[in-house]
Amino acid sequence: MSQLGSAQEARSGTARASVTPSPLARGHRAYTAAVAVALVGIVVAGALALVSRSLYTSNERRLLNLRVKELGDVLTVAIPNTQEPLESAVALADATGGSAEKFTRYIASFVGARRQFVSASLWRLDGPGTGPVASVGAPSTVTSSIAQRAALFARARQSGRLEVLGNLRVARPRLAYAVATAGGRFAVYAESALPADRRSRLQSNAAFSDLNYVIFLGPSTNSGQLLLTNLSSLPIPGRHAQAQVGFGDTVLTLVVSPRVPLGGTLPERLPWIILVVGVMLALGAAALTTRLIAGRLAAEHLAGELEQAVRRNQELYAEQRTIAQTLQQALLPAALPHVAGTESSARYEPGEQGIEVGGDWYDVIPLDEHRLLAVVGDVSGRGLRAATTMASLRYAIHAYAAQRDAPDTILTKLSGLLNTSATGQFATVLCAVIDTEARRVTVASAGHLPPLLLNAGGGDYLALSVGPPIGVQQGAAYASVTVAMPGHGTLLAFTDGLVERRGESIDRGLARLREAALAQAFELPDLLGHLVGELRDGYSDDDTAIVGLRWTV
Amino acid sequence: MDGIASAGDPPIDFDLGREDDGTNVVTVRGDLDIASADRLDAAVLPLIEADGRRLVVDVSSLRFADSSAIALWVRWAASVQELQLRGASPLLRRLISSMGLEQHLRLTG
Repeated sequence: MSQLGSAQEARSGTARASVTPSPLARGHRAYTAAVAVALVGIVVAGALALVSRSLYTSNERRLLNLRVKELGDVLTVAIPNTQEPLESAVALADATGGSAEKFTRYIASFVGARRQFVSASLWRLDGPGTGPVASVGAPSTVTSSIAQRAALFARARQSGRLEVLGNLRVARPRLAYAVATAGGRFAVYAESALPADRRSRLQSNAAFSDLNYVIFLGPSTNSGQLLLTNLSSLPIPGRHAQAQVGFGDTVLTLVVSPRVPLGGTLPERLPWIILVVGVMLALGAAALTTRLIAGRLAAEHLAGELEQAVRRNQELYAEQRTIAQTLQQALLPAALPHVAGTESSARYEPGEQGIEVGGDWYDVIPLDEHRLLAVVGDVSGRGLRAATTMASLRYAIHAYAAQRDAPDTILTKLSGLLNTSATGQFATVLCAVIDTEARRVTVASAGHLPPLLLNAGGGDYLALSVGPPIGVQQGAAYASVTVAMPGHGTLLAFTDGLVERRGESIDRGLARLREAALAQAFELPDLLGHLVGELRDGYSDDDTAIVGLRWTV
Repeated sequence: MDGIASAGDPPIDFDLGREDDGTNVVTVRGDLDIASADRLDAAVLPLIEADGRRLVVDVSSLRFADSSAIALWVRWAASVQELQLRGASPLLRRLISSMGLEQHLRLTG
């Protein structure tokens, strides 16, 4: 029983010692890792998105600067359209002495509704107040006074450049130009009309359709100086770039902003795409991480549980074996009786296969003061069924022995107690009576191996006729054999577990037992121990019982 | 109707068949011991219950049999009118005679 107690203690101690995370801790760990993965992924995605965004922004800025320069270049090319006809007209006037006819004919092709100028006129520098020499087109509106005009011409003559004057804050805005040569006698004055709403109708629209542009006359971006724009309202929205182009004595200031991403829509959208995809990947990775970690933790936990289960199983097995052996010992006789002049000893060895009790037993029953009955038996099968059958047979034999039945009678009566065809069980039994007074040994066997009879000189197996095992035939007749009892002899009865080996004839095992029994003189208990040790070394699957009777008479 | 041992089981396989005259034949090969006897028993029992006249157990390819095999055949012999052990090896014959079972397990072949 103490063995049972310690097994129990060991089991609970082992359970305490093992460490596996609880389901709550498992979920916590998986969650933390997933959050970490998600955060890392989102941060990386965010960083990449930011980088992409800044790359996009700097690229757009660069492209905008390029575009504004392009627009400036276009205007620079367009400006001579304004400047050259006037300069040529002045040169013509100087050359022809102010021929009105020639001036008119020349300048006419530049004046008109869809042409550069709405009006152009030729003036004498030394007498501007008297009116123009020639005039083509609509009346001029920019300069209304002689003094204004004279000042304009003086400036033009002095600078030798195109003088530009704007009248922009009126319903019909106009630009006025004056060209005069230094040392010349004439000046040409022209006016261009701007669209009232300043909305641009430049042919170059197609090329600059990706830009919002505003063109101011002069260096400032004052809305009063607005010349042209393709916007419907000012100020120009968002990021813009500026450039200046010389225009006569003044400048044109260009301000442009992109209407669409100059580098295409993909770079503009890319940061968002990166962010969205990045976040999705991060979340996906986090989910995957959760699953993987949870899965691994579950597997670890399961492995831990399996390990525990295996250990538990081994402990239970060992416990069961202990119980089985304890039971076995309880079923077998504790102390062996003997009669005067005799000695008895017995051994039971459980088989190493399995945990169930076996069906082997031994018994020594005193019949009277000079007769002993030795019994050895083997019930087929294992477990509780075999054990209970074995117990019944044992006690039945005790009853028959008390009635002074001879060995063959005992077996015949036993044979009625089992029914192999009904229960599938049978038993082999050997009964041997030694009579120290009559000096006889009487033996009968029901399917059992013969006993070994040793004497001073040697020993051999008793020749007997073996009857059927108990249960095979109810009420079978058994033949007993009687031999003279040798002096100082030993009778050894045993079960087949002692001599049977796989692949070997039973006779081989019997010979081995006989050799071992004759090899050396032992005290009876030591003899049994020696035989068990010799014969079962490495061959201990089956259980076995051996009983020895020794007489000194 | 074959019984094949699975991994870890002792190597035994058996066939269940019928002879021309309708006799059930169990052919056993390999090792028949305490571990494999139960499986063989479970397969043969329905056969015996269906036809309890004669059962032939062909043991010519049986490599090893111990007392649990004997127990099995003794049980079968008790359930049929006649049980024949066909082709028993000398080892097996000796074992059967040492147990006094020659009358109950007819050795043939």
